[in-house]
Amino acid sequence: MSVTRSTFDAVRLEVIWSRLISVVDEAAKAIVRTSFSTLSNEANDFACVLTDARGRSVAQNTGSIPSFIATLPATVRHFMEHVGVEHMRPGDVLITNDPWMGTGHLSDVCLVKPIFLGERLVAFASTTSHVPDIGGRLRAIESRQVYEEGLQIPLMKLVDAGRVDQTLVGLIRRNVRTPEQTLGDIWAQLSANELMERRVLDLMRDYRLEDIEGFTGEILDRAERAMRAAITEVPDGTYEYAIETDGADEPYRFALALTVDGDRIHADFTGTSPTQPRAINCVMAYTYAMTAYAIKCTLLPDLPNNDGMFRPITVHAPPDTLVNPSYPAAVVARSNTGHYVPVCVFGALARVLPERVMAGAGSPLWVFTVTGLDDSGKPFANVLFFNGGMGATADADGEHCLSWPSNISSTPVEVTERNGPLVCHYKRLRPGSGGRGKHRGGLGQDILFECVSERPLLALFMTERTRFRAPGLLGGEDGGIGAVEVNGVAVDTRKQHVLHKGDRVLLRTPGGGGYGDPAERPADLRALDQRLGYL
Amino acid sequence: MGRYSLGIDIGGTFTDVVAHDHASGRQVSRKILTTHDDPARAVLDAVDDIVRRFDLDPAGFRRVVHATTLFTNALIERRGVPTGLLTTRGFRDVLEIGRERKYDLYEIAIRKPAPLVPRDLRGEVTERIGADGRVLTPLDEADLLAAARALADAGARSLAIVFLHAYLQPAHEQRALAVLREALPQVALTASHEVAPELREYERGSTAVANAYVKPLAERYLDTLATQIRARGIDADVSMMMSSGGLTHLAEARRTPVQMLESGPAAGALAAAHFGAADAGGRLLAFDMGGTTAKLSLVDDGEPLVAYGFEAARQRRFIENSGLPIRISTIELIEIGAGGGSIAHLDALGLLKVGPQSAGSEPGPAAYGRGGDAPTVTDADFALGYLNPDYFAGGTLAIDLDACRAALGALAARAGLDTEGLAWGIHDVVDENMASAARVHIAERGKDPADYALLCTGGAGPVHAWTLARKLGIRHILCPPSAGVASALGLLVAPARVDRVATIGFRLVDGDLGRLEAGYRALEAEAAAVLAEAGLDAGAATVQRLADGRFVGQGFDLVVSLPAGPYDGGDDTATRAALRAAFEAGYREKYQRTPPDVPVEFINVRIAVRLPIEGPPVAGPGTDAGAADPVKGQRAVWFPEGGGFVDTVVLDRTRMRVGDVREGPAVIEDEGSTLVVGPGGRIEVLPSGNLSVRLPGEAAT
Repeated sequence: MSVTRSTFDAVRLEVIWSRLISVVDEAAKAIVRTSFSTLSNEANDFACVLTDARGRSVAQNTGSIPSFIATLPATVRHFMEHVGVEHMRPGDVLITNDPWMGTGHLSDVCLVKPIFLGERLVAFASTTSHVPDIGGRLRAIESRQVYEEGLQIPLMKLVDAGRVDQTLVGLIRRNVRTPEQTLGDIWAQLSANELMERRVLDLMRDYRLEDIEGFTGEILDRAERAMRAAITEVPDGTYEYAIETDGADEPYRFALALTVDGDRIHADFTGTSPTQPRAINCVMAYTYAMTAYAIKCTLLPDLPNNDGMFRPITVHAPPDTLVNPSYPAAVVARSNTGHYVPVCVFGALARVLPERVMAGAGSPLWVFTVTGLDDSGKPFANVLFFNGGMGATADADGEHCLSWPSNISSTPVEVTERNGPLVCHYKRLRPGSGGRGKHRGGLGQDILFECVSERPLLALFMTERTRFRAPGLLGGEDGGIGAVEVNGVAVDTRKQHVLHKGDRVLLRTPGGGGYGDPAERPADLRALDQRLGYL
Repeated sequence: MGRYSLGIDIGGTFTDVVAHDHASGRQVSRKILTTHDDPARAVLDAVDDIVRRFDLDPAGFRRVVHATTLFTNALIERRGVPTGLLTTRGFRDVLEIGRERKYDLYEIAIRKPAPLVPRDLRGEVTERIGADGRVLTPLDEADLLAAARALADAGARSLAIVFLHAYLQPAHEQRALAVLREALPQVALTASHEVAPELREYERGSTAVANAYVKPLAERYLDTLATQIRARGIDADVSMMMSSGGLTHLAEARRTPVQMLESGPAAGALAAAHFGAADAGGRLLAFDMGGTTAKLSLVDDGEPLVAYGFEAARQRRFIENSGLPIRISTIELIEIGAGGGSIAHLDALGLLKVGPQSAGSEPGPAAYGRGGDAPTVTDADFALGYLNPDYFAGGTLAIDLDACRAALGALAARAGLDTEGLAWGIHDVVDENMASAARVHIAERGKDPADYALLCTGGAGPVHAWTLARKLGIRHILCPPSAGVASALGLLVAPARVDRVATIGFRLVDGDLGRLEAGYRALEAEAAAVLAEAGLDAGAATVQRLADGRFVGQGFDLVVSLPAGPYDGGDDTATRAALRAAFEAGYREKYQRTPPDVPVEFINVRIAVRLPIEGPPVAGPGTDAGAADPVKGQRAVWFPEGGGFVDTVVLDRTRMRVGDVREGPAVIEDEGSTLVVGPGGRIEVLPSGNLSVRLPGEAAT
C-alpha cells in the first residue's frame, strides 16, 4: 500500500529530506573526486539531482552552482517525453548534451538513470558535468552556430538495459581531444548515478515507501507555499530595469519588466538584444536559472533547492533574443550573457526591496588564455580565471575579487608560472575601483603578466564591463571599468593577440557598484578606506 | 619512587589533567575551569591538587604531554599579536584576495574571513624567484630592512615572510630571516617555507601568517608553563601534542605553534583509537558528542586518518571553505552542530530542525531550570526516558522536568505533534544530521560504515549511539569506561611524530629517480634532526613515505603511501612500476577506478616519522571485583522499534563485571553519561573495560 501524504509530519519529512540531500551530496563528492575537469573538481561546475517518477526535483546537491537551478529536472522531463517512460527499462542510462534540453552548452553532459523498484519506475537519478573537452573549435566564442561547438549528443540511451552503446562511445572517443578524460568523466557520472540509485532504494526500504511521489509532493508544496508567502510581502507592480553591456561590435541591451502579482513573479525580457552570430547566446533554461537564482537570493536564501519554490516564478523572453536563442545558435559562452540576468533582477527589485538586493558586480568572470609551444616545443594552454569586485548591499560593502554569480576560483600565480612561460609581476587590489556609496563596491584587481617565451604566444581574452561599468544602486556610484593593456596600450579584447618575449599584459578587472549616497558613508569607514588604501 | 606520566589538556571550557602511574596502571585526574587570562594557572592548580591529593612525588614524573586549544581560540577571537606580512613585491594583497570563491552561493552580503594582517601592515620587498627556482631578482636587503622596520614601527610584533616559489627555493626567505633576526630581535619571525613548504601562495601564506599571529603568545605561554612545571620539582621535558596526533618538543612547538591548532581534538581521536584497539580490529568511527558539537573521525588499522590541511576560524563554523586555510598535517575529523544543547525549531517549511544554535551551558536546556525555554536535544532525551533526572551528571544537577515538558510541549503544539512524538523527532533529526554528515564523509574516503565499530564518548555520545549506529548500518558499538578526560588520556598514548613535506613536481614516467630519492632523504634528515633535538633515538623511528600525486590534468592531489626506498640505483623500470602501482592502489581505494593511459605526477613528497613511546600505558581496565547487583531499577524508555515506551532495566555501570552479558533494552548509567541500548541489543562487558553492544540484524529506520 502506498504511504499517503498525511503520514508525513514535520519530523518524517525532515528526516527523509535530510537523507535524500545526503544522497545527492554523497554523489557530488564522488564526482568531485573522480572527474578530470578542473571545472568539476575545483569550480563545482556540475550538479546531482534526484527527481520523483514525474520528473519533479526533490533534492539537489548543496554546492551546485546557480546555473543548474531547475535544469536537470527539465532534462528528465524531456527524456520522459522524447524517449517515453514506456521505453525505459531497469539498467538504462540516458544521455544528452543538447543545450536546449540540458544546461545551455555542449560541454555539460547530462546523464539520467531511471530508478526501478522491481519493475516499477519510482525516481530518476540525474547528473550533469562539464567535461574537459567535447570537440569543436578551440576559440569557441567566435562560433556562429552550434555545429562549430563540438559533438552533439541527442536525447538517447547510453546504456540500454545494462548494455553500453559502443557506437556512441566510439563516436565520442573520435570527436573529442581528450577521449580518456572526457569518457572518464562520463563514467564518473555514471557511478554517481548508480550510487544515487542504490541509496534511494535503501531509503525506500528503510522507510517502507512504495513511491516517493507523496513525499515529494508534500515537500514541493511546502516550498511553494514558502515562496508564495515571501512574494506576497513584495508590493505588487511592474518594475523595469535595463542595462547595456560590452557586446561585440555594438553594445547589447538587457531589458527586464518584473511583475509582482500577489504570490507570483513574472519576468519578461522583451526588448533585449537579438540572438548574436557568436557563442554568447543564453538558452532559456539558463535565463530561467539565473532569474530564479536572483529571486531566491532575495527572498529565500536559506532553503535547499527544489522545484516547488520555483513554481511561482515564470520567465518570458521573446524567441531569437540573446536570452532565448533558437537552434542552431552558438551558445558555449552563455554565462557571459546569463550572468547579467541576476543584475537585471536586482535592479528591478531595488525599487521595492532595496534592503535585499546587491548593486552590480564586477562580473561575469574574466578568462585569459595563453597558448603556444613552450621552449621545449611542447604545446601548452594556460587558462586563467580572474574576478572583479562584488556589489555593495544595504548591509555591507561589496567584497573584493569574488566570483559571482558563478563560483570559480582564480588560478594561483605559482601554478600559472609552472604551467607556461609567463611571469606575473603583480596581482593586487585595484584602489579606487569600488563604486563609492554609503556602502562601497568591492575592489577589482590588477594583474600584470610578462611573456618570457622565446616563441610567440597567442593570447585570447574573455572580458566584460570594459565599456559599461557595474551599476551602483540607490545613489551609489558605478564600479571601476575593466581594461586590458598590452605594453601600456589599451587593446580590443575581442581580437586575439600575439605575445612576444618581454610583452606585458595588464588585466584590470572591474569593481563592484556602490550602494546608497556616498555622502552618507560613516566617517569611520571613510577613514578605514583611507588607511587601507582602498580609495 | 613512583613513576608517572602527566597529561594536560586545555579546552575552551575545562582544563583536564591526568596522571598515570606506570607501576599500578592506575590513573587519577582533575578537571577544572580553564583560566583564560592566564591559562597556565589552571594547569598548575590542577597539578598541585593531584600531587597533594594522591600524594605523588613530583620527581617521579617521567613525561609531561600537553594539548591546548589556546592558539585556535586566539585565531577565532582574533586575540593574536599585531602581525605584519612581507611578500614579494606586487603580492601583498594575495592574502586578502584569496581564492575568489564563495562559501555561500545565496548570501549576497557575504564576508570573506578577514585577513589576520590588515592591508596597512602588509609590506613588499624587491626580490623574485622563478617557477624553476632560479633567482629572477636578487633580494634587496636594504629594501627588506626598510619594509620590515616600517611594519615594526607601525606596531607589528610578529612578521610573516611569504615569497613566491619559496617552497622550491627558500634562499631568499632564509636570508630575510637571518637579516631580520639581527636587525629586529624583538620581533617574532615566521617564513612560509618553514611551516608549509607547498605550492600555492595563498594557502602557504595563510598558514605562515596564522603561525606568526600566535607565535609570541605561544612562546610566552609555553615558557611560563615549562618554568612553572619545573619549579614544582617535576623534572621532565614537556612534549606537545600536534594536530597530526604526534608529539613534538617545546622548541619545535615554539617555532611552529600552528601545528598545535587541533591538538585537543587530535588527542581525543587518539584516545578513541586506543580504547578501541583491542575490541574492534582497529576500525572505528569515533563519535564524540558534547553540549554544542559532535565530532566524528575514522580510525583505520588503529590509526586515526590524517588530512593534510584544514580551516581555522571559520566565518561560519560548520560551513566548508569559510575559514583560513592551514596547510599542516592534522587528524581528520568532521564537526557537526549537534550536541545536547542544540535547539529544536521549525523552519520556513514547517520542518523540524535541530541546531546548530545551542543553548550552551547558560541558560542550557530547559531541564536545567536556569531559564532556558527553548527545547533542546537534552530535553528530548529526558522526555524519552534516556536520561535519569535524579542522576544527571552523577546527580550533581537538579533537573526541572516541568520546564523540560513545557518547552517541548510548546513546540509540539506548533508542529502538530504530541510531546513524545516531538521528543522522538528531535532525537531522530539530530541523529540523522550526524548520520548524513558521516555518510558523506565516509563516502569521500571510499569506505563503508558497516565495516566500522562506533566508539562513543562525550556526555551525549552514548545516549545517541544506538540510533546513529542503526542509521549508518553499523552493527557494533563500543563505549569506553568513564572517559570524561578521554583527550588527556589520549596524550599519554601518542607517539613522537614528525611530518615534513616539500614540493617536487616529479613525472613518474620519466622523472629523475635520483632527485626523488634525494627529496625524501632531505626530509628524513630534517625529521631525524628534530627527533635528535628532543633527545630521541631517530634510528628506532618508523618512516612512512607518502606522495601528493595526481593524474596529469587533474586539479587536485591525492596523498598515497609509497613503498620504502631507496628509489635510485636499482632497476628503474621496476621502481617506476612499483611507485605507479602504489599510487593507483591508493587512487582505487578512494575512487574505485583509475583512468587508463594517463601519466602520473607527484607534486609533493611527504614523510611521517613516528617513534612509539616507551611502556604504553592506560585504558581503564575492566573490573571483576564488585559482586553487587548492577540493576538500579526500571523505567519507561522510548524505543520506536519497540512501539513506544518500553519498560526498561536501568543498570549501574560501576557495578557491572567483566564478562557480564545482557539483552537490550537497557540503559546503563555512570557519572559521565548514559548508554542507551534498544531491544535486541546484546551487551557485554569486555576485559578492556569497554562496554560492547551488538545490534540485531534487521534494517535501520
